[in-house]
Amino acid sequence: MTRVSYFAAGVACMALLAGTAGAQAAAKCITGAHKAPYTLGWANIYSVPTWMKQTTDTISQEVDALKQQGLVSKLMITDAQGNANTQIQQIQSMIDAKVDAILIDAGSATALNRVIADACAKGIAVINFDSLVDTDDLTAKVNTDQGEWGKEAAEWMVNQLGGKGKIIVMNGPAGISVSDDRRKGAEPVLKAHPDIKILAETNTEYNVAPAQEAMTNLLFNNPEIDGVLSLGGALSAGAILAMDKQGRALVPTTGENYRQFLELWKKKGLKGWATMQPNWLGALAAYTAVEALQGKDVPAYVKVPLPIIDDNNLATYIARTKDFPTDGYIYSPYDQAMFAKLLTQK
Amino acid sequence: MSTMSASAVAHRGLYRAVQLRRNKGIGGLTIVVLLFLAAYAVLFPGLLTFEGFAKFSQTWLPLALTAMAQAMLMLAGGISLSVGATVSLGAVVAATTMGTPLGVAGGLGAVVLVGLVVGAITGAITVRLRLPAIIVTLAGSFIIGGVALLILPRPGGSVPTTVSDLLAGTSPVAFGLLLATIALWKLYAATPLGLGLYAAGENPVGAYRSGVAVDTVLIAAYAISGALTALAGFFVAAQTGSGDPVIGSAFTLNSIAAAVLGGVGFGGGQGTMRGAFLGSLLLTVMINVMFFLGLPPVAQYIAQGLIIVGAVALPEIAKRRAHRAGRVQS
Repeated sequence: MTRVSYFAAGVACMALLAGTAGAQAAAKCITGAHKAPYTLGWANIYSVPTWMKQTTDTISQEVDALKQQGLVSKLMITDAQGNANTQIQQIQSMIDAKVDAILIDAGSATALNRVIADACAKGIAVINFDSLVDTDDLTAKVNTDQGEWGKEAAEWMVNQLGGKGKIIVMNGPAGISVSDDRRKGAEPVLKAHPDIKILAETNTEYNVAPAQEAMTNLLFNNPEIDGVLSLGGALSAGAILAMDKQGRALVPTTGENYRQFLELWKKKGLKGWATMQPNWLGALAAYTAVEALQGKDVPAYVKVPLPIIDDNNLATYIARTKDFPTDGYIYSPYDQAMFAKLLTQK
Repeated sequence: MSTMSASAVAHRGLYRAVQLRRNKGIGGLTIVVLLFLAAYAVLFPGLLTFEGFAKFSQTWLPLALTAMAQAMLMLAGGISLSVGATVSLGAVVAATTMGTPLGVAGGLGAVVLVGLVVGAITGAITVRLRLPAIIVTLAGSFIIGGVALLILPRPGGSVPTTVSDLLAGTSPVAFGLLLATIALWKLYAATPLGLGLYAAGENPVGAYRSGVAVDTVLIAAYAISGALTALAGFFVAAQTGSGDPVIGSAFTLNSIAAAVLGGVGFGGGQGTMRGAFLGSLLLTVMINVMFFLGLPPVAQYIAQGLIIVGAVALPEIAKRRAHRAGRVQS
C-alpha cells in the first residue's frame, strides 16, 4: 500500500467511526463500531453463594434468548473469588478482549472506578447491578431501593399490629451497606409510631443458623413478642424455627423470598410479608446492555420496583418451588416485555 | 597481593556456584512462567504493545511487592499474616492524606512511615518476646485492619488523578518501579543486614555465634517488609483512585502462595527472592490466560489448583529424576 492509500484508508475508517458513533450516541460510553451479535462479559465478584449462582443462571438464560434473536454471540464469565483486585484484572482482560459490554456486580464501591472509566473510554457499554459503584462513568446502573425495602416492611408491620405492639428487629451484619440501608429505611416509620416498641435488635450473617441462635436467646428474655421485623430472608426462617421449637405462637413476620421462609410461612399459616432482591437483575443488566448497544437510549439508573409477596400471592410462589434450589431464592417471574417497560421509565 | 586476588577469585567462584545452585531450584518454575507468558502473548497479542504491557505490569506490581515482603520474612524464618491488612492500611492512608495539605510527597512519606512502624512493632514483639510470628501477625492483622476501618469506615478518599495516571496510566511506570525494587533488594542483600537474613533464617544460633546481630536483622526485615507492603497499598490506591479499607484481604494468602510457589520454604533460609518474584508473576498471568482460554469459573478454580500443584511438583519430580540419574552414573 502506498502512503496515500494508507491515508485514504485512515480517513475512510474515521468517517465510518464518526458515522456509527453519531448513530449510537444515545447511551453513555458506547462509541465505535458495535455490530450485533455482541460479545458480553459478566464480571462476577464471587460465584459461590447460591444467590450469585441463581443470578448467573438468569444471565445465561437471557443471553440464550438474545442469541436466538441474533443479538449476542458470546458470554464470557469471570469469578473474582471475592477479591476486588482480581475483579479489576478480569475487567481489564475483558477490555483487552474487546467485548461489547461488561456486566458488573461490584466487589468494592470505589476500587473499580478507574477500570470502569477505562472501559467506558474505550467505548464499551458498562452495566452495574446489585452491588453498585460510586462512579457515574458508565452506561447504566440497575438496582432496587434498599431504603424502600426497610420502609415497606416496617409499614406492613405497623399495619398488622394496628400501630401498637412489641417487636424484634433482625438485621444483617453491621457495617454492610445493604443491611444499613434497609434499617435506615425502616427508621422513620418506626419513629412515627411510638407505640411500636422495639424489644431488641439482632445483627447476624444472612444465614439461618446464626439468626435462629440469636432469636432463641431473645425468646428467653421476652415472653411477649407481637411481631418480627426481619430485613433478610434467611433471618426470618431462623426466627420461625426458633419460635416453633419453643412452642411459641408465631407472630406476623417479614422477610425475603428465601425458599425455606416461604415454605415455613405457608406450612405454619402465619401472617407474612416478603420482598426480594430479584436474581433477574442480572438478566435485566444483560438486556439493558444489548438495548444500549443497539443505539437505544437507556436510563442512567434503572430503578427496579420491589416485587412484593404477601398472603394473597404466596401460593403462586409456593407453586414454583420445584424450579428453585432448596437454599435458593424464589424470584418473581420476568420476561423481556417487562424489561422493556422498566427501561422506558425516566 | 597475590593471596588477595586468589581469594577474590575463589570468592567469585563461590558466588557463582551459589547463584547457579539457587537458580537450579527455580528452573522448572521459570519454564512454566515463560510458557504461560508465551501463551498469554499468543492469546492476547496486545500484551506486546506499550499500553498492554503497562496494564499487565500494573496488575502484577502489588502482588510482586507483597510476595517480596512475604519472602523476606519467610527467608528469615518468619511469616506475616498481616500483609493483607497492611495493604489496606497503606491504601487507606494514601487515599486520605494525598488530598490534604500533606500533598503527594507527604502522603507517600506517611505510607512508608506507617508501614515501617507497623512492621517494626510486629517484628519487635515477635523477636524480643520470642513469640510465634504466625500468632503475632494474625493478631496484628485484626488490629491493623481495624485501624484501616477506623480511618475510612466506608470506601472513599481520593488519590490525585496525576498520581493515578502516572503510576497506573498507559505507560509502564509500574514495571520501572518493579525493576527499582529488585535493584534495591540486591543492594540490601549485599549489606550485613541483608546477608544476615538468610543466616538468621537457616540457623539462628549459628548466625548469632558467628557475630550476626540476629535480633536486629529480623526486626529490620519486619520493618522493611511492612514498608514494602504498605507501598503495595499505596499503589493499589493509585490504581483504583481511592481507598477501600478491606481491599487488601486477599494479599495475605496470595503473597504466601507466590513465595511458596517460588520455592521459599516455611522453615526459613530456603528459597530465593527471585523465586517468590516468579511465583507472583505466575499467579498473575495465570488468571489472564484462563480468561482468554474462555474457561468457565468452575473450571478456573480447578485449573488454578492444578497449575499451582503442578508448578510446585514438576521441579521436584525433575530434581529427583536428576538425582537418581546422578547416583546411577556415580
